[in-house]
Amino acid sequence: MTELVLDVRDLVVRRDDLVAVRGVSLQVRAGQRVGVVGESGAGKSLTALAIMGLLQPGWRAEGQVLHDGVDLTKISDKAFSSRRGRTLSMVFQDPLSALNPTQRIGAQITGVLRRHTRVSRDEARRQALDLLVQMRLPRPEQMLRAYPHELSGGQRQRVMIAIALACYPQLIIADEPTTALDVTVQKQVLRLLDGAVKERGCALLMITHDLPVVAAMCDYVLVMYGGRVVEEGPVATVFRTPRHPYTKGLLESQPTLDNIGLDGTGRLPSIRGSVPPLHAMPSGCAFRTRCDRADGRCETVPVLEGTESRAACWHPVSVATPAGAR
Amino acid sequence: MLVFLARRFAFFVLALVVSSVLIFSLIRIAGGNVAAVMLGKGASPQAIDELMAELGLDRPLPVQYFDWVAGMLRGDLGTSFRTGEPVTDLLVDRLPVSVPLALAGLALALLVAVPVGTYAATKAGTPTGAFVATLSQVGIAIPVFWAGVLLSLFFGVKLGWLPTGGWTPWTVSVTGAIRSLVLPMVALGMVMAATLTRYTRTAVLDVMNEDYVRTARASGMTKRAALFRVGVRNASLPLVTVVGLLAAELIGGTVIIEEVFSLPGLARMILSAVSAREVIVVQSTVMVIVAFVLVVNLVVDILYGVLDPRVRVTR
Amino acid sequence: MSDTTMAPGALPADGVPRRRRRWNASLLVGMVMTGAFLAIALLSLVWTPADPNQVAPRDRLLPAGSAGHLLGTDALGRDVASALMAGAWTSIVVAAGAALIALVLGTISGLAATSNRQYVNETVMRGADILLSMPGVVFALVLAATIGAGVGATIFALSVFFTPSFTRVVRAAALRVLEEDFVTAAALYGRRRLFILARHVVPNIFSVMIVQFTLYFAVGILTEAGLSYLGVGVTRPEVSWGILLKEAQETVGVASPLAIWPGLAIVFAVLGLNILGDGLRDVLDPRLRRRKS
Repeated sequence: MTELVLDVRDLVVRRDDLVAVRGVSLQVRAGQRVGVVGESGAGKSLTALAIMGLLQPGWRAEGQVLHDGVDLTKISDKAFSSRRGRTLSMVFQDPLSALNPTQRIGAQITGVLRRHTRVSRDEARRQALDLLVQMRLPRPEQMLRAYPHELSGGQRQRVMIAIALACYPQLIIADEPTTALDVTVQKQVLRLLDGAVKERGCALLMITHDLPVVAAMCDYVLVMYGGRVVEEGPVATVFRTPRHPYTKGLLESQPTLDNIGLDGTGRLPSIRGSVPPLHAMPSGCAFRTRCDRADGRCETVPVLEGTESRAACWHPVSVATPAGAR
Repeated sequence: MLVFLARRFAFFVLALVVSSVLIFSLIRIAGGNVAAVMLGKGASPQAIDELMAELGLDRPLPVQYFDWVAGMLRGDLGTSFRTGEPVTDLLVDRLPVSVPLALAGLALALLVAVPVGTYAATKAGTPTGAFVATLSQVGIAIPVFWAGVLLSLFFGVKLGWLPTGGWTPWTVSVTGAIRSLVLPMVALGMVMAATLTRYTRTAVLDVMNEDYVRTARASGMTKRAALFRVGVRNASLPLVTVVGLLAAELIGGTVIIEEVFSLPGLARMILSAVSAREVIVVQSTVMVIVAFVLVVNLVVDILYGVLDPRVRVTR
Repeated sequence: MSDTTMAPGALPADGVPRRRRRWNASLLVGMVMTGAFLAIALLSLVWTPADPNQVAPRDRLLPAGSAGHLLGTDALGRDVASALMAGAWTSIVVAAGAALIALVLGTISGLAATSNRQYVNETVMRGADILLSMPGVVFALVLAATIGAGVGATIFALSVFFTPSFTRVVRAAALRVLEEDFVTAAALYGRRRLFILARHVVPNIFSVMIVQFTLYFAVGILTEAGLSYLGVGVTRPEVSWGILLKEAQETVGVASPLAIWPGLAIVFAVLGLNILGDGLRDVLDPRLRRRKS
């Protein structure tokens, strides 16, 4: 077994009595790619921000986040800052607002290099240039001197990735890295991220609501609902034989030629209802109000059980009736 | 950038022209008759007309306007009808009072407001933050002249540390001049600081909530570094604009505070010129003040263009 | 777009219900203070303890608490409490009057500046920019001294210099509304522009206008007092807080409590209106909501 680069244990994220993440545990091993999927409001992003220690004021994280030999929830801002961008980095959703509008691209990349490594100004510049080349940005020399508003969304996201990769981190957390981009650009950016991560052997924690992205890029997947992990396991297993009704519902609501029909007359199945707001999350299994299988038992919280993949459900979908994966 | 500069400069010139026309017509239409005032009551209409002709005030208004503008372009602000003194000389006498007062007041306001506002922003949501916010709210409600009165009451009358009014010229005693300026400057600065603190707090809060601050933190900046290198720098953009807008207010405050402390500055000069119906003195002095504000705004906008790369493209 | 994946600080995203608050502390405090101020001003119209201009040489400089003179008398024996009450009414007439005129002119010009004709836009906005860079106090000073001081001249001077701010605020708010889909729909439906402005835009920017009015009401009180203090605003027999302060300073010096009362009155009125403005902004217009302090 390779070493763990991230070990999150019983993470709870709350603001006063609103609990958005209710005891999430997850592990990422060196070089592994882990996907976290779920709908809006599942607590995916808050989990990521809690790991990075970047929750907005008012939000609090409890539990343990073990990384680089320390519990990140216990260390000082200074100690944490020396790890952010160096051993652990993050790519955010909206590249339009995530880069400092008053600073040149070059300065934003060399900034992270010079913060964490003892390189000269020239060396930092050379490395920044290399990164831009790797990210296939056109005219990298000019790009160093450009301001964010002069770049397209896809280019900006590639710069973001370059910043995240600059110091060869052990783990990159990517939070919906392509959601804000045009469909045609999404694939290019994902491919670049994929290649760069592979080449450096760094681990990836990919947060997305896009199941095909997880299927294509990740080895392991966690499905979140209502602030909890409801199912997890190797991507192939979970997608081929989902055991939690929610996972199954998610997979079935992906449009495919089978369920739409070639003439578009088919009906796309969907999960009934919608994610309840945080303050109205049902007790017990959070999914029970939308689940066909729910009964009295579901009022107590189920635990994750299983061997190859694990699901938190009192009435798991039987393995005998596999749902067509993608 | 060049287009931006050219457009901005064109507006500056336009603003100068429009305001000179405004000032001229306002003062000439409502300005009263200088000759009548000079000759006193009971002067014959004939004598008044003769004096008007002598002063060149009987010419058509457009001619007088262009004459005035042409003079200003040559650096000649006209002369006082009554004393024959050039307006430039009158101004030079008054500026050593008004300019240091206004600039020191502004500097003090910035020195107080930027750190306090930033501090209040970092403490938003805590009792300390609420306290600072309330304090600045109260400060905004204090009229500058009352602040002056309170200060001279405390430091002048009660403690006797500083003069409660009056002016010692720089040429007589530098420390004396400074001593006469301290209280007016503090009154002006504190009242402006209250407004600026509020703006600073909002600006820093806005910036600190931006995604790019989170990016900076995610790439290893400590909270402090993010606050100062990203937060305050980017918050300086809206602040620069506010300072530009405050330039007009600064002048108003200076005029009032000069009156509180009986300082022989621009306020006195305008007031006495107005009551003597010295139209040239009034219109030239007001024009100089307006031009000053316009220059400040020009500089502010150019500075904005330098600080914020987006402006150069979008404007 | 998945909402939760955005900044958790963006409140609507974290699933917390965002009820429009109907009530808040600022609103309450502001309303009480402003209510008291308005009540005293209105009362002064029908009753004051004494005539604020009644000179009484024998009762000069009575201390506060003297019989018949709650806050004492000034150097000419005039009742201070009565003068303060009358000053409140002057403040309202001048400041609210100027703010109201500016509101009307600013709304008209601000709406005009949303026109599709670029030259109308440019003219109005550049005009507003130029007016904004004129030092209002200096202009009011010249104006009052030339056309004569008094309530009317002061209102005129203030409204000229308040209008451009209203123009800008109204325009910005109106442009936001004009971008909304329901306005586009109305336009497609063939509604005339004037109808759209009156029926859709004005009701939707009303809250912005109210807040702006409240804040400039406060600025007006400060400026009126300043001009009257300089002797170019309101003049006797009208009573203004600025005049009272000036008189106190000239006749008995700053050490007298006479110099304290008018200042306190100004701070009370202005603070009340500013707090009320903040409270109204929080309740009326969530988009303008300032951050919680």
